[in-house]
Amino acid sequence: MPEHKEASVDIMRFPAPDFDVREYAREAAGSHREELGLEEYRTNPLSPEGLRLIRYLQIIERATMTHLRSVLVTATHKDARITAFLTTWAFEKYWIADAFEQIGLAHQPEGTDVDRAPFITPSERTIRESIVANIIGIPMIAVHMTLGTIDTWLSQVAYARLAALENNPQLAKTMEKFTELKQRQLAFFEAQSRYRLTESKQARKLTRKRLTKTPWPIGAKAEPREETAFFFDRVFGSARELVAELDARIDTLPGQSGLSLIRKAAQL
Amino acid sequence: MAFDIDKYTSTSKKVVWGDLDFDQFKSNPLPEATLRSIRYMADIEYHTVCYLRDLLVTPSHKEADVSAFMTMWNREEFWHGEALSAVLGAHDITLDFDQLKATRLKLGWKDRLDPIKQSLLGNIVGKDFIAVHMIWGAANEWSAVAAYNRMADLEQHPVLAELLRRIAKQEARHVAFYATQARDRLAKSKKAQVLARFALKNAWGPVGSSVMEPAEVNHVMSHIFAGEEGLREIRKLDEHISRMPGLEGLTIVETSMKKYGVSAPIAA
Repeated sequence: MPEHKEASVDIMRFPAPDFDVREYAREAAGSHREELGLEEYRTNPLSPEGLRLIRYLQIIERATMTHLRSVLVTATHKDARITAFLTTWAFEKYWIADAFEQIGLAHQPEGTDVDRAPFITPSERTIRESIVANIIGIPMIAVHMTLGTIDTWLSQVAYARLAALENNPQLAKTMEKFTELKQRQLAFFEAQSRYRLTESKQARKLTRKRLTKTPWPIGAKAEPREETAFFFDRVFGSARELVAELDARIDTLPGQSGLSLIRKAAQL
Repeated sequence: MAFDIDKYTSTSKKVVWGDLDFDQFKSNPLPEATLRSIRYMADIEYHTVCYLRDLLVTPSHKEADVSAFMTMWNREEFWHGEALSAVLGAHDITLDFDQLKATRLKLGWKDRLDPIKQSLLGNIVGKDFIAVHMIWGAANEWSAVAAYNRMADLEQHPVLAELLRRIAKQEARHVAFYATQARDRLAKSKKAQVLARFALKNAWGPVGSSVMEPAEVNHVMSHIFAGEEGLREIRKLDEHISRMPGLEGLTIVETSMKKYGVSAPIAA
């Protein structure tokens, strides 16, 4: 079978040169359970809306494996530096999801069972995605790195809003910590994304097309539509200026200006 | 026998070697044949992410327990790669991310089609396919435990032996997960038994044989499993597998070792 030239050779050896993947892997954050201060929620519980948002954040964070799947079936999985990053990233996300789950459980009667329901993930898309993405090859990596960048920005805003809307110092502390974790992940995603988009016209074009088709936030498909609507409403409803701010940030990514992704997703 | 996933995830650690005296490799270096085997093992550990990919395209990942396990397992194996690569480093052999990428690129179209094949198969067969993955994983992890322990015995190098036993200990926890899952799922479904039997008999090969050159597979397997004691280990592996529901009488390890030219003693 003939191979597309650009699909088999990745000339971009060092995107994100300042990011030490090995150091990131070494210092990755594991379980947060010891530092969640769960007893504080017993005396100062979160609002029902706050809990609903936390549940949503937990589910999209837990949907990592599904997202990782669509990433790994493409040329992206060949890049050992990226997979080393993603391995650690998935680990950190697992424990962030676990923390949200624990905070939720702290509001339930003791001994409440955790939700072990299977994830909702359409499978037929994977096959198509795998075929298409493998024909495209290397430029797909730019798409994945950009998806990671934007999704991380969105998470950071959501964490800040969650903390701002609840009057709970413990939650604020935890969200601050998660924002920092995401900042480190962002350092990789964003540098990779900007580098790859700058270097390749095909990557810019493809990324642009893919971003508009992506349901935000990543993992949204694991939840009913009304929960995603609630997410945007809660996060941006009383802070609409953040929508424009995020969209402006996306505009700064090479070749991605004017997409208004967040405005369209939020439908506010 | 239940596998406590929460206990596993909360105690999942990256393997440590900082306390071991790697300087001993300077005064008491490992022979070339051993380094060649370690190089193979490091490669395979790093490639776990490719195997994870194959798991993710099937319904397996939708189960919360399986997904949690895979997150930790993938990271632990990555760290085994790092540890073994540090041993190589102490002998002035570098195994960097670019070399790993090169191995993955060499797989070419076969590798690109794998997830599609797996996805189609997995999603047509459905839940029973998970059993196949689980017994497959168990067979691989059993082999890994045996290989690491055996190499530690063969080499008699105090630092290497300690490191390999630490790695083997983590692999044994992976065995516990895969074997528990496989046993339960096979016991519940006749169809799963037939599928698993068929898959193992027709497609199983020594760990790494789908990624590495046949000459390397032959070197490592002969190095570790040749001779009478080696054969005893091989048969133990087959015993573990054939004790699973519906898999009686399978001798896949012995058969595939013969295929790779691992010489058994004449009087065996």
